Amino acid sequence: MNERKLPPQLIRLVILTVAILGLYGLARFFLTPPSFGELGFYRALALEEATLRSPVFAGQKACDECHSDTIKKVAKAEHKTVSCESCHGPGRAHVENPEVKMGAIFCVRCHGVDPARSAWIKQVDPKKHYAGQRCAECHVPHQPSEVP
Amino acid sequence: MPCAPPTQRGTMIGKGYTRRKSLVALAGAAAGFLVMAPARKARAAVQKLFTSTGAPKGYDPTQHKWLMAINIERCIGCGLCVEACKKENHVPPQPTYFRTWIERYIIKKPRPGQAAVQGETVVDSPNGGAGGFPPCEIPREEILKAFYVPKLCNLCEHSPCTQSCPVGATFDTPDGAVLVDPKYCIGCGFCIQACPYGCRYFNPYTRTADKCSLCYHRITRGLRPACVEVCPAEARLFGDLKNMGPDDPIAKLVRTNKLHTLKPHLGTEPRVLYAGLDKEVR
Repeated sequence: MNERKLPPQLIRLVILTVAILGLYGLARFFLTPPSFGELGFYRALALEEATLRSPVFAGQKACDECHSDTIKKVAKAEHKTVSCESCHGPGRAHVENPEVKMGAIFCVRCHGVDPARSAWIKQVDPKKHYAGQRCAECHVPHQPSEVP
Repeated sequence: MPCAPPTQRGTMIGKGYTRRKSLVALAGAAAGFLVMAPARKARAAVQKLFTSTGAPKGYDPTQHKWLMAINIERCIGCGLCVEACKKENHVPPQPTYFRTWIERYIIKKPRPGQAAVQGETVVDSPNGGAGGFPPCEIPREEILKAFYVPKLCNLCEHSPCTQSCPVGATFDTPDGAVLVDPKYCIGCGFCIQACPYGCRYFNPYTRTADKCSLCYHRITRGLRPACVEVCPAEARLFGDLKNMGPDDPIAKLVRTNKLHTLKPHLGTEPRVLYAGLDKEVR
């Protein structure tokens, strides 16, 4: 029996190894977050958490609920590629409470003259093109080709 | 200290079992039972820190592969995308924090006597393009050509930022977005240095790295990213590679344009495609 017995230094080493492995297992048991490794070396739940925030821009479909007439008109005119929220700003607050007023941006933001702007977009120099007058006096924003 | 001799009196207990051993085993089992319940509770408490509830269901990330395409010829530099991105994603308002921004490239004519096809390239991006660009200071007769380039996360197939993250806080999702897990991010900034496109920034309020998430909260609800939604010129296109019909705007763009990506020599294989990209753009 005696010659079969492990030397004490080996026993100590085995105990130490088991203790370290045990501590590692314990730390892993407690600290590995749920869903870690489901999709890769990260928490799969982080994907869900990233979706939690509510959108600020409501999207064209939300505008279509009430303003489908305007959207149909715009869809036939030059500004058909422009979505409502491009000019009028984020719309979720307005969708939740129609009392909230929507704004509108200045036409020159897109139509001001700039050398880096391609020729396909109509551009004017606001200092030379009927300076001091409002754009809407001559142009209808929703149907730019029509005369008011 | 010498041990007490084992008692051998019990007839019910077999040879080798002692009262002391039995009591120790019993105490161990009882302690184990007692510890199990608090251990489970403690584990649940630790894991609750990371767990979320109430996320919208019904979106399967493995059924999509998102990409973006940018048509430089169509971009008019209005900067609406930059503003929309800041509003949608609560990006700090200071002009150093952007998830997307626009650069104005102005390529001058070569100086007289300079044997070159083009002169100096001037790039500016005041406030990232938010609020529109101020009038160009370079006189028109000196300009050879000029154009706007919108920039955003390039949705790399082999993203250097996720490879550099030491804690697994940033990752490529199965649907092609590159996200930051703000609960795991330690704010070391390695990913900000690793991104060859400069698309990440350190958010001073959350103390974590932040970047374009492809408006993940919008695309999972069936909406387009905010920058694509507000782009008035269809310069930004958004599509799904796994559900792409022939009428898809990106499919059309790919058919009718010469495409390029930013810094292709780095092997990052971006999924943001640029149509009409000039060699001056980096």
